[in-house]
Amino acid sequence: MNLESFLKSLHKLFMRLKSQPVEFILFFCASFSIVILLLMFLFVVKEGSLAFVRLGVQLIFGQRWETNSDLYGGFPLVYGSLMVVSGALVISVPLGICTSIFIAEVLPFQLRDPVKSIIELLASIPSVIYGFIGATFLAPLMASIFELHSGATALTASLILAIMVLPTIVGVSGETISAVPRDYKEAALALGASKWQIIRNVVLPLSKSGMLASVMLGFGRAIGETVAVLMVAGNVAMVPTPPWNYLAPVYPVTAVIAMQMGEAAVGSLEYSALFGLGSILFIITFVVNTIADVIVRRGPVTRGVQL
Amino acid sequence: MSGQTGERVIFAILGVPMLICMLIFSWILSLLLTGIGSVRWELLTVSALQGGMFEMIVGTIYLLLGATAIAGPVGILAAIYLVEYAPSRGLTRIIDQAINNLAGVPSIVIGLFGYTFFCRHLRLGVSLTAGWLTLALMMLPIVIRGSEEALRMVPASFKEAALALGATRWKAISSTTLPAAAPGVVTSVILGIARVAGETAAILFTSCVLITRGLPRSPLEPVMALSYNLFVKIVALGTPAQKVFGVALVLFMIVTSLSLSAILLRIHYRKGQPWLMIR
Repeated sequence: MNLESFLKSLHKLFMRLKSQPVEFILFFCASFSIVILLLMFLFVVKEGSLAFVRLGVQLIFGQRWETNSDLYGGFPLVYGSLMVVSGALVISVPLGICTSIFIAEVLPFQLRDPVKSIIELLASIPSVIYGFIGATFLAPLMASIFELHSGATALTASLILAIMVLPTIVGVSGETISAVPRDYKEAALALGASKWQIIRNVVLPLSKSGMLASVMLGFGRAIGETVAVLMVAGNVAMVPTPPWNYLAPVYPVTAVIAMQMGEAAVGSLEYSALFGLGSILFIITFVVNTIADVIVRRGPVTRGVQL
Repeated sequence: MSGQTGERVIFAILGVPMLICMLIFSWILSLLLTGIGSVRWELLTVSALQGGMFEMIVGTIYLLLGATAIAGPVGILAAIYLVEYAPSRGLTRIIDQAINNLAGVPSIVIGLFGYTFFCRHLRLGVSLTAGWLTLALMMLPIVIRGSEEALRMVPASFKEAALALGATRWKAISSTTLPAAAPGVVTSVILGIARVAGETAAILFTSCVLITRGLPRSPLEPVMALSYNLFVKIVALGTPAQKVFGVALVLFMIVTSLSLSAILLRIHYRKGQPWLMIR
């Protein structure tokens, strides 16, 4: 859309709003989300500006995060986040995609609503409850299986996180699968295709983009998850040795923010570094969500699917 | 024939992940239910100063009521605008995008924003009001999305009939479309409440404290909440699981009964209103 037509439509809108008070109030409410997003960006980045100026790229690539010696190198934290999130996605993506295909195409019609409802309930469990379950049941279990001192490890966090993002992936990719027009499937059926052939040659190609979007949304959910991860990740701000050791504790970015905000003096470098990490998180999730949105909008059958 | 058996095998393999999901849910449920015996229910009405959870429960309800009072009306009106008024495609797209992005902002970032903007910039301090506003931001996208969907499902002919009788646009919408969509709108609000009822990260720095003397007397005082209490007791104080089981269980039951009622309401009203069956 070019700028001129955008400004023209804005002008038209403004003229209409002037003459209609109801519409003006409604418009105000609708544009609230934009205002909030802008404010959020401005304020979080503003508080992080000191850290951006003083630390620069050290905030992401610095090797040591030690509050006592006033060192704020975020690499171990960023690495911890990525480790936990990739672990969670490796588990939940195949599980989630298979589940959504199974529910939409194979499961008997009467069972679909109950199963979907259960998955929706799984999604509504608060993260602090997941953290509680992880800390009191899963962590001791991990400790005894792998004979560790403490079961709070990157793997434990990945497992809990995988359960938490599963409903997102199942929900969104399920939506896109059910958006595949029935005519297409019936046409394939009339040509003698079997159920699996229909899934593989009609349903999957059409809902691929929606599945990709569901994975991206799952990623966004996972990287921003705080409380549950914090309670089971072990919270040691070091890159594990060796770096692929999932049985070592990590300290993801979100956990650091939640744990250290309480003690950080307002205006200090620590305070600003935490907001700096927060702004990076904000930008990452913003970009990932926008891409997922575009994928869904451009997808072959997914127009109108709500994320 | 062998093709059919092959297919059965594929479907069986596809079914395993779903079973795993169901198993996870029943595992979580069973873990929580094992704790039910050890919970002393009389603690529900005992003050936190004596080891009960009265202030936490009421505090959580206070937080939810306030957040709903803000996000409910704003969200519903926003949805009405998007469905019924929104004139230019371009602007609507940007608003849509903003709502999706707001829904995707991590709760910890919303908490950071709430702290710098509501608590410090607007000078609300760590208070109930700051918590209301912060939680309302998390509810808003859910309410808007759900209400939008409910409004879109009402056939345009309802509104057109009212318009034909000479009603103004707002009158037509508020007297035909809105009542028809009401159950769906209510469902979306309940889902929004369920989403924030157990929220911890967003109220961590904005409105909660571990212990207060009685209930907050004004909206500018901090408040106790179930989620915050559970979190701090486990993370910072290292309280053994048995002691916080009651809090976890009460929180779980509040959230689950809210979302369950929303789900049942949705299933019920889709059956009751024939024009909704198309979907």
